[in-house]
Amino acid sequence: MVNKVIRPVFLSVLGLLWLVPVYLLIANASKLPGDYSSAEVWKPAFGGALLDNMRDVWERADLGSTVMSTLIYSVTGPLVGVLIGASVGFAIVALRLRHGFWWFVFIFGGTVFPLQMLLMPLFVGYAETGLYDTRIGLILVYTVISVPFSAFVMRNFFTGIAHHVFEAAVVDGASTWRIFWRIYLPMSKSAMVAVFILQATFIWNDLLLGLTLSQSNDVRPVMTALTALQSTYGGSAMPVVLAGGLLVSIPTVVLFLATQRIFSRGLALGQF
Amino acid sequence: MSSTSVQVDPDSGVVRRTRSGGRPSYRWSAKGFVAPGVFIVAGLLYLPFLWTTFLSFTRYRGLGSPEWIGLDNYVAMFSDPALLTSLRNTAFWVVGTIAVPVGIGLLIAVLTYNMRFGAWFRLPFLIPYAISGVAVGVIWSFILQSGGALSQAMDTFGLPGADSRWLLDAPLNTFVMIGAAAWQASGVNALLFVIGLQSIPKEPVEAARVDGASGWTMFRHILWPMLRPLTTVVVGLSIVASLKTFDVVWVMTQGGPGRSSETLAITMYRETFVQSEYGLGGAVSVFLTVVTLTASIAYLRRQLSERKAL
Repeated sequence: MVNKVIRPVFLSVLGLLWLVPVYLLIANASKLPGDYSSAEVWKPAFGGALLDNMRDVWERADLGSTVMSTLIYSVTGPLVGVLIGASVGFAIVALRLRHGFWWFVFIFGGTVFPLQMLLMPLFVGYAETGLYDTRIGLILVYTVISVPFSAFVMRNFFTGIAHHVFEAAVVDGASTWRIFWRIYLPMSKSAMVAVFILQATFIWNDLLLGLTLSQSNDVRPVMTALTALQSTYGGSAMPVVLAGGLLVSIPTVVLFLATQRIFSRGLALGQF
Repeated sequence: MSSTSVQVDPDSGVVRRTRSGGRPSYRWSAKGFVAPGVFIVAGLLYLPFLWTTFLSFTRYRGLGSPEWIGLDNYVAMFSDPALLTSLRNTAFWVVGTIAVPVGIGLLIAVLTYNMRFGAWFRLPFLIPYAISGVAVGVIWSFILQSGGALSQAMDTFGLPGADSRWLLDAPLNTFVMIGAAAWQASGVNALLFVIGLQSIPKEPVEAARVDGASGWTMFRHILWPMLRPLTTVVVGLSIVASLKTFDVVWVMTQGGPGRSSETLAITMYRETFVQSEYGLGGAVSVFLTVVTLTASIAYLRRQLSERKAL
């Protein structure tokens, strides 16, 4: 029965250790920049300057506008991406596209390359077509990188829908578009939500594409802005930087905790 | 075409007959549904891929037209000491990522999967997973400053090494950054292993328990072999992700000081967008792609052939 005691104690100690960085983050993001001393980072803060620091980073460091654009990217990109992916899955599974498997391999193969392979041509191409540093340009690239994974999951999900459903709808005289929009999409809501959450989190957290394809404050995504904040402020304004780090993490942490079940199902869908 | 009209005929017998005949009426709409995906993936993923591969054989600095120089970029790349450092660091990242977060994730999963309130015990490890690589970098560069939070804590407990310059000395800076990344990644590995453990059939586990197996014996002889397929996936994913390490390093050291903590992904970014050596940057990213693909294929093949042998 020693096991009954040791196991929870061990897990609790390890868990608390894991939360230490979170404590340091919150404690020091709650200090007024004037009160902050790099020699006393472990001291708890009861000053409650957290909201002031957040307002500071939102307005003065202009994180607010980047949060807004990133919100647009991480909703639009995966939404369009999932629809395109679903339509690919529908063509292959329900409409039994000729050589469908190979088209699927072609699209899913798009995830094989590291993003690094895309950066320079996208940068040059975007500069030449006027897409560089525009919101449309970022939405486009975030949509495209959502497509292969969406197609993968949606194709798998659609194979689970009996083909009789499709045949019955045809007998009833429904057009393929209508069957897709009114029958297949509503039936696969759970898979679509899982894919959407995974992709939205990925886009919210993206640094590399934002760094490469945007520069102005109105367009660049939030992680790029936070990186810039870290290198310009640092030092004495540390509480403000940390408040920024905390601020941009809240949406994904909340989303993750609220949807953990879907999230793990989504992970399971993605891995196998 | 006559087959088109019989296809929509409500008579079920007719429908079945055209089904076996190849369903010509859906050929065009199927193409229509697949086209948007194919076009944007071809245009924004495959085309850039080919273009980067082409540029890696040229001298190109963003102006004028690329000049074909064969393998010169690759030769230059491998005679550059900075790239060799970057290669070594990337190897550290791969080994460290397989060992630390996968190991910790497995430990947490095995300890919590059949325990009361297991999900609550896992929660502290999952929170960092939802934080971005950039935010992880911000938190940990704060903790790891010279004389920062970690040094102060070590000082208090009288531990040696409190005066280490965590982010300034190589290869120490790479090791502590691997630690920071492990803090983030362990939770998701735990989650994946829990999914795997919960899907293990109850009978063999019960049978082993009746035979008196528990603890380490149970893990070694029952759980571990049955987790094998999932371990393959988790390790494979870790290899691929660690080869592409960028965010944490970019935020914490930008690959410095003096390029000492660069990874291949950082080297590629620096050559291309800081030095404007597009051709050389292209060569680094082609190399990165080849390594990634080779590693994942080799790993999967080894695992699959082992499983066949069992």
